[in-house]
Amino acid sequence: MSSYHEYMAEREKIDFLLQKGFKITAVTENLSGAFVTFERTENNQTEQEALHILTADARKYFSSVLIQQV
Amino acid sequence: MANLTTNLAGIQSPNPFWLASAPPTNSGYQVQRAFEAGWGGAVWKTLGDPILNVSSRFAAVGFNGQRVAGFNNIELITDRPLEVNLKEIYETKKKFPNHAIIASLMVEPQQEKWHEIVKKVEDVGVDGLELNFGCPHGMAERGMGAASGQVPDLVEKQTYWAKEVAQTPVIVKLTPNITDITVTAEAAVRGGADAVSMINTINSLAGVDIHSWNTIPHVAGKGAHGGYCGPAVKPIALNMVAECARSPFINVPISGMGGVSNWQEAVEFMLMGAAGVQVCTAAMHHGFRIVEDMIQGLNYYLDERGIKKVSDIVGKAVSKYSDWGNLDLNYKVVARIDPDTCINCNKCHISCEDTSHQCIDMLKDPSGKSYLKVREEDCVGCNLCSIVCPVDGAISMVELPNEQPPMTWNERQAALQATAVQRLDV
Ligand SMILES: Cc1cc2nc3c(=O)[nH]c(=O)nc-3n(C[C@H](O)[C@H](O)[C@H](O)COP(=O)(O)O)c2cc1C
Ligand code: SF4
Ligand code: SF4
Repeated sequence: MSSYHEYMAEREKIDFLLQKGFKITAVTENLSGAFVTFERTENNQTEQEALHILTADARKYFSSVLIQQV
Repeated sequence: MANLTTNLAGIQSPNPFWLASAPPTNSGYQVQRAFEAGWGGAVWKTLGDPILNVSSRFAAVGFNGQRVAGFNNIELITDRPLEVNLKEIYETKKKFPNHAIIASLMVEPQQEKWHEIVKKVEDVGVDGLELNFGCPHGMAERGMGAASGQVPDLVEKQTYWAKEVAQTPVIVKLTPNITDITVTAEAAVRGGADAVSMINTINSLAGVDIHSWNTIPHVAGKGAHGGYCGPAVKPIALNMVAECARSPFINVPISGMGGVSNWQEAVEFMLMGAAGVQVCTAAMHHGFRIVEDMIQGLNYYLDERGIKKVSDIVGKAVSKYSDWGNLDLNYKVVARIDPDTCINCNKCHISCEDTSHQCIDMLKDPSGKSYLKVREEDCVGCNLCSIVCPVDGAISMVELPNEQPPMTWNERQAALQATAVQRLDV
């Protein structure tokens, strides 16, 4: 798959969670990429999701989202 | 015509083009001819204890038909007696009172030696002094030049000693043979330098003769490391000038040199913070008359832009030079191939395929004719294809609209940290 398509696939996953009201609450980066934790709280219940982001462009993308969020 | 006069730490000259301390400024005869040709100033070949030189001394590094892409030498400072040089400086200054004559000096790192030489050269009427802490060969082995120029404390101390007695501005000429030139530039400023100049030559071995196995150059079959200069070193010199120009601790004028051979390169150095430039290799390669083009080109350049005086361009590009961490990660350019200009040599395809991101596709149009097209979404805008393309205008690098707001690495790191903190608060 071209790196653009890999990026788009990862971006879609991020967008999907954002659309459902999730927010990025933690990022752990290491040699294997970025592990991004998303959370949303509804009716006093906190739900958590995690994504393993590999491509450089998707890492830039969630970082832009993060900057807008903080 | 724009006003080309410059004032570097109080040293006036009719234009920003000075000859650097080197063979072109070895004698009164040469410096006077240079002034007649139009050079605004000359930094006299370094004065010190007369030394002995070897034969041979120079080597050129050619590349692809370019005879002097780089230049290397194992020459030392002047081998003429001090008294002879001083007499010629005196005579030259008398004949050319409006041109800048700077005495380049190198002595052992001892206070009384500096006092002695500074007083002697100032007595003959020089406009300024340049302390040579840069020569990488020969003198360095005796504890002078780059040997002391690499030790910030010695740079500071020797500058201070020169300043203790100097009546004229003191320029400190720095060696590039150091990891971070701002450290020694700051030391010079702490020592009281009125200006800094850079770069002296870079440690080098020009080559080895694969037939005789001798170094190039060699002296009776033996070689030694030498100093590299000329067009090849310009990017290194320009970066060092820029680093000093943007440092808040180096608030003195800069005299820039290293590979300057035309007016455009002089403008680059000045935009990046040099108040004037010095030239050696280009004058050695083409003679003193290259300054005519330099003066004319600079004049046209300034006139075209309506800039009245050359000093107005000094430092105008410094704010554009920053750290990697301040670059916008979301800025995007891509390569675009113009099929009408392209000659189908395929160089771009090969370089992108083998060493970049495999995003130049070879396609066929309906008539069966092959053409190349960049898959823009995969192109990282590395520039490689446009660098290797032999046809001007066949590949252009085009800016794409930002999909995301600008974001620097530093901003990203700050956001990541803030997130971790928020997470702890939850
Ligand atoms: C043959 C030769 C001799 C040089 N001698 C001196 C010298 O005596 N003192 C000095 O400060 N720099 C000396 N230099 C260095 C030049 O002044 C200058 O810093 C260097 O060549 C970079 O400029 P360029 O690329 O225009 O040549 C010498 C350079 C060459 C090529
Ligand atoms: S700019 Fe780089 S990645 Fe883009 S097509 Fe050219 S060589 Fe390939
Ligand atoms: S390198 Fe330039 S001329 Fe050659 S194929 Fe590519 S675009 Fe065409």
